[in-house]
Amino acid sequence: MKKIFQHLLWAVVAAMAAIALGAIALYRGEAINSMWLVVAAACTYAVGFRFYGKFIAARVLALDDQRATPAERLRDGHDFEPTNKWILFGHHFAAIAGPGPLVGPVLAAQFGYLPGALWIIAGAVLGGAVQDFVILFASMRRDGKSLGQMAREEIGKIGGFTALLTVLFIMIILLAVIALVVVNALKGSPWGTFTIAATMPIAVFMGIYLRYLRPGRVLETSLIGLVLVVAAIFGGQAVSLSPTLAPLFTLSGVALALAIILYGFLASALPVWLLLAPRGYLSTFAKLGVIFLLAAGILLVRPGLQLPAFTRFTDGTGPIFGGKIFPFCFITIACGAVSGFHSLISSGTTPKMIGKERHAWPIGYGSMLVEGFVALMALIAACSLQPGVYFAVNSPAGVVGTTPRAAVATISAWGFPVSVPQMESLSESVGEKTLFHRTGGAPSLALGMAQIFARTGGGRAILGFWYHFAIMFEALFILTLIDAGTRVGRFMLQELLGHLSKPLGRTHWMPGVIGTSAAIVLAWGYFLYQGVTDPLGGINSLWPLFGVANQLLAVVALSVASTILLKMHRTRYFWITGVPLAWLVVVTFTAGWQKIFSPLPNIGFLAHAGQLAGRLGAGGLTAAQIAETRRLMFNDRLDAIVCGAFVVLVALILVDSLRVWVGILRGTREAKVNEAPFVLSQLEPEEI
Amino acid sequence: MTRLRRVGRLVLALLRELADENAYARHLAAHGRAPSGKEWRRFSEERWRARAVDPKCC
Repeated sequence: MKKIFQHLLWAVVAAMAAIALGAIALYRGEAINSMWLVVAAACTYAVGFRFYGKFIAARVLALDDQRATPAERLRDGHDFEPTNKWILFGHHFAAIAGPGPLVGPVLAAQFGYLPGALWIIAGAVLGGAVQDFVILFASMRRDGKSLGQMAREEIGKIGGFTALLTVLFIMIILLAVIALVVVNALKGSPWGTFTIAATMPIAVFMGIYLRYLRPGRVLETSLIGLVLVVAAIFGGQAVSLSPTLAPLFTLSGVALALAIILYGFLASALPVWLLLAPRGYLSTFAKLGVIFLLAAGILLVRPGLQLPAFTRFTDGTGPIFGGKIFPFCFITIACGAVSGFHSLISSGTTPKMIGKERHAWPIGYGSMLVEGFVALMALIAACSLQPGVYFAVNSPAGVVGTTPRAAVATISAWGFPVSVPQMESLSESVGEKTLFHRTGGAPSLALGMAQIFARTGGGRAILGFWYHFAIMFEALFILTLIDAGTRVGRFMLQELLGHLSKPLGRTHWMPGVIGTSAAIVLAWGYFLYQGVTDPLGGINSLWPLFGVANQLLAVVALSVASTILLKMHRTRYFWITGVPLAWLVVVTFTAGWQKIFSPLPNIGFLAHAGQLAGRLGAGGLTAAQIAETRRLMFNDRLDAIVCGAFVVLVALILVDSLRVWVGILRGTREAKVNEAPFVLSQLEPEEI
Repeated sequence: MTRLRRVGRLVLALLRELADENAYARHLAAHGRAPSGKEWRRFSEERWRARAVDPKCC
């Protein structure tokens, strides 16, 4: 009887998923309610988790609770420790959820809500969750080895070295693009700049409090930090209204970029306990809290989607970034659907803490589905804005015109009416001088979130608080990622340089630390400066570059996963990772090709450089304009080279993997599965 | 009520795990030491040194 009831229940869930998906895919006309998207995602994810995830867990990976995990066999109380599955689920989710699933969907909303929503739903179930789960399983069966180590063992030395190099390059582009998001959110905003600046002394205070006054009381310290940060938001409002203080915190894009570059360098060289650790804790709690608040807000308010299912920009002429839905929607939304970066987390701390093998199913597969939900919430927040407002905030001055009148005329002519008084009233209510040309996704997401939060209580009177609360939360965890990422990049560079000179590889040798920190900061700082000074806003070139890079890392991870499945089952279950791998190869290589060689200047780096060369050749430019045009041409060519390097590096790994696969299938190569030997688990379920 | 209490305990345990407070308790138990400022500094330096080489997600 219970079984029949369960079957019926799942049939109802599947039917609800089908109806909701059908509704959002087929309904055209008036604005639809965001609940259709929520129901479609929730039901599809539930069915995907229960059936596809379980199938992979039971049949393909054959998870076995009788087999001792590394957390049990190598238990040391530090890295290896069996942990409760729901606690580890939260830990893993907190580690994979970054700014990517929030920013990407907001930018991709320029195509309308439908392409992004379908990709987030299908991509997470069939691609992202599968990648995270299989890599987590593989690392768990190999004593917690990293993706690079597994690539070296399963594919070969070229694969391992290339994976390390690819991760380092991707990290540099990632840091530049997320720093650009912060710069664009804080540019000319004394309220936002004061609030974010205040988080630094707050973090230092927390560091000293935790180290000397209340050692080990992290929750207590973080609570004090959160209260101080909220106080800083109110302080920021007072600063923005002060005629003497406001100019001090009203910074240009270049000044903010230089401040962030300096911050990145100092943070990577300062003692960890002083800044990085307290910010890390604060950012984790703020992130989880805001995600929870946003979910509650959407459920309470149930906003309507103002953007249409498809906009006119599906033809590739979008103002936020150039290119058609295929391939650009699929690289713009990486985190939230498929993110290569997750494979680094799935082969990091998490596999060392799994108590029972079957826990890898909810942790690896399930937490990626929750991340998909976060991405969907960001999409809803952006699409709940009036389309004219969405495009006015996100379109660069180089596309819509530098003055508010020009911008509203261009955007209204696209069929998305918006007026200058409307934008002025909106900026006034959130305490900003202007909301035009605030590219990068963060301001429009903050605006969408603020409107949702304000509708749950307080109304327009507290819109400014919620807007700056959302900006603070986005900037806080982006800056945490910048200081942590710079440090990680420094370690990677030291690992690579250590092969050339032993002292450079030592992580405590100060000249090496300062030199490598400076090299990493200068590398991402250059791309940040390039983005800040780009008349088209920078996001249009850097975000696709980051998307290509992130998805190429997913190609590396899925190549390793496919090699492992081939060794385990030959071709029987190869399709599980092989299909998402094939899709991502097509998407990323097409996007990479188009970004380099497309003849359209709004897409191809080389075509854009050619267009600028034409302007230079036509003459009539001042000396300053000539220098500026030459710099932009250099940047375009550099971006083309970086994009080409990503594609070549990943093609190398792919060819190496193909060589291994053909060898296994022909029988000329041993299909050796490099798993740790079976040891019977002694761990009782009650112990975890 | 019991279920609510269980969920509350789980949430608190998750927060303590994210805050490294559980890891600190395990560290003290594994080494048979009492909590102190010196011990916390030793634990947190070791933990963050290990964490600093882990790539962060986007």
